[in-house]
Amino acid sequence: MRALWEYLWGVLSGAWSLAAGMGVTLRYMLQPVATVQYPRQRLPLPEAFRGPIRLRAFPDGHHCVACGECWRTCPSGVIKVQGLKAQAKDHNRARYFFIDFSRCSLCGLCVEVCPQQALAFSREYETVGPSRYLGVKDLIAALEQEEVVP
Amino acid sequence: MLRKTLIHDTFYLNLGPQHPSTHGVLRLLLRLEGERVVECQPVIGYSHRGHEHMAQNRSWLQFLPNTSRMDYLSALLYNHAYCLAVERACGITVPPRAEYIRVICAELNRIASHLLWFGAYLLDLGAFTPFLYAFDDREDILAILGEVTGSRLTYCYCRFGGVARDLNQAFLDGVRAFIPKLRRRLKDYHTLVSKNVIFLNRTKGIGVMSPEQARDYAVTGPNLRASGVNYDVRKAEPYSVYPELDFEVPLGEHGDCYDRYYVRLLEMEQSLRIVEQALERLPSGPIRAAGVEQEPAPPPGAYHFAYESARGQLGIYLVSDGGRIPVRMKWRVPSFSNLSVLPELLAGTLVADTIAILGSLDLVIPEIDR
Ligand code: SF4
Ligand code: SF4
Repeated sequence: MRALWEYLWGVLSGAWSLAAGMGVTLRYMLQPVATVQYPRQRLPLPEAFRGPIRLRAFPDGHHCVACGECWRTCPSGVIKVQGLKAQAKDHNRARYFFIDFSRCSLCGLCVEVCPQQALAFSREYETVGPSRYLGVKDLIAALEQEEVVP
Repeated sequence: MLRKTLIHDTFYLNLGPQHPSTHGVLRLLLRLEGERVVECQPVIGYSHRGHEHMAQNRSWLQFLPNTSRMDYLSALLYNHAYCLAVERACGITVPPRAEYIRVICAELNRIASHLLWFGAYLLDLGAFTPFLYAFDDREDILAILGEVTGSRLTYCYCRFGGVARDLNQAFLDGVRAFIPKLRRRLKDYHTLVSKNVIFLNRTKGIGVMSPEQARDYAVTGPNLRASGVNYDVRKAEPYSVYPELDFEVPLGEHGDCYDRYYVRLLEMEQSLRIVEQALERLPSGPIRAAGVEQEPAPPPGAYHFAYESARGQLGIYLVSDGGRIPVRMKWRVPSFSNLSVLPELLAGTLVADTIAILGSLDLVIPEIDR
């Protein structure tokens, strides 16, 4: 008799636990949808978002003096930079600035180390490509196509 | 061979390395006697990237992004641990605001890690709905952390002597809204899962780990606490600002899968408490220590630092000769010890319970392989 009672109690409490769970599901069914339908809807990017690095654009172009500090600090050897002097007494200015984004870990060390504050993170996030060579970016060329956003 | 197998009714089953329940690339070589597991042999190393060796090829600072790639589910905790270890070795004092910010972010990351485990574990056991809720909540945390760290998973936010960026209003508002939301959700989780009869039947009394066993294998973290041993590095060897914060260490009784599950749910509540208190006390001030070199190097010697990660005790052993590049860096990761107790837990269980036990240990394989 007792065994039967325990069995019935087990069935009833089990059924109740399932019903309670269904209750939670039903409640959420009536609440707004949490999913964002990605290509059609997009979430705003956070302020601190880290995309592939870029040279900050100023009215007089970029401020990179090709000191190579970012190049030496980068843990993955992403950056290659070479400077050129227009005249002997001029400041050095970066003429070539290449990054290989496929190896970048977006750590931010290069942005922080730059004495000229010439680097910043871009807000690009669709960086997937079919070839690893697409990760190689010419930042000076990219700068010329961009309008001024320091 | 086939005939022998048929006669003796013994056969070998490879669980993994691409099995969805092994969460990463773990291979379990199971010797079965019918439905029962006789022996289990874990095979690891499929995602070995040589992080410890990489550390010997780069400066202390340059190793920072590597830390978050070991345990990608609690990347900020590893980041924090590494910074604390190097700061302690170099004798750098971190401004209180920075330390509070780090603790807030680290605890949020711990919750995110537990939530992912919660969802994935129930998915392993065949429950699909809780997974969606867990990922909804985790998404909130990732968005909040993204506000200051700029990344979603492999953060590189802590720096020697502080953090990379100050908190903004969006972060503070996000956390303040998130705390009551998760509290409500945790109640739902208990209704949905903790009292669910199917879940109870699949986890109660399964994979019992005695406190002695846990100690023998140096199991740490929620797995150890589920067996009733009160050991949490945050209490045992306090670091950072944890001594100033009031929180409890939840303990289990039986050490079975259910207790391991329950302890993690309670831990999320405690983490919420920590975040709440830290937000209240958040001091103002600088977020980077002044006068810290760009590339600090610890003075010659060997250092050890212990940290409570989401999975247990994380130990960092550093050897420095005073130079720019570490001589040796050894990471004692919790999942490795937690995995080593698995063969003992699995002996004599059913194959279906293998998944329940394996999942309940919350292993992260890239952390084991490093
Ligand atoms: S970006 Fe900055 S750190 Fe890098 S070379 Fe130019 S000036 Fe130097
Ligand atoms: S973000 Fe880090 S990995 Fe990427 S280029 Fe800068 S220093 Fe190198």
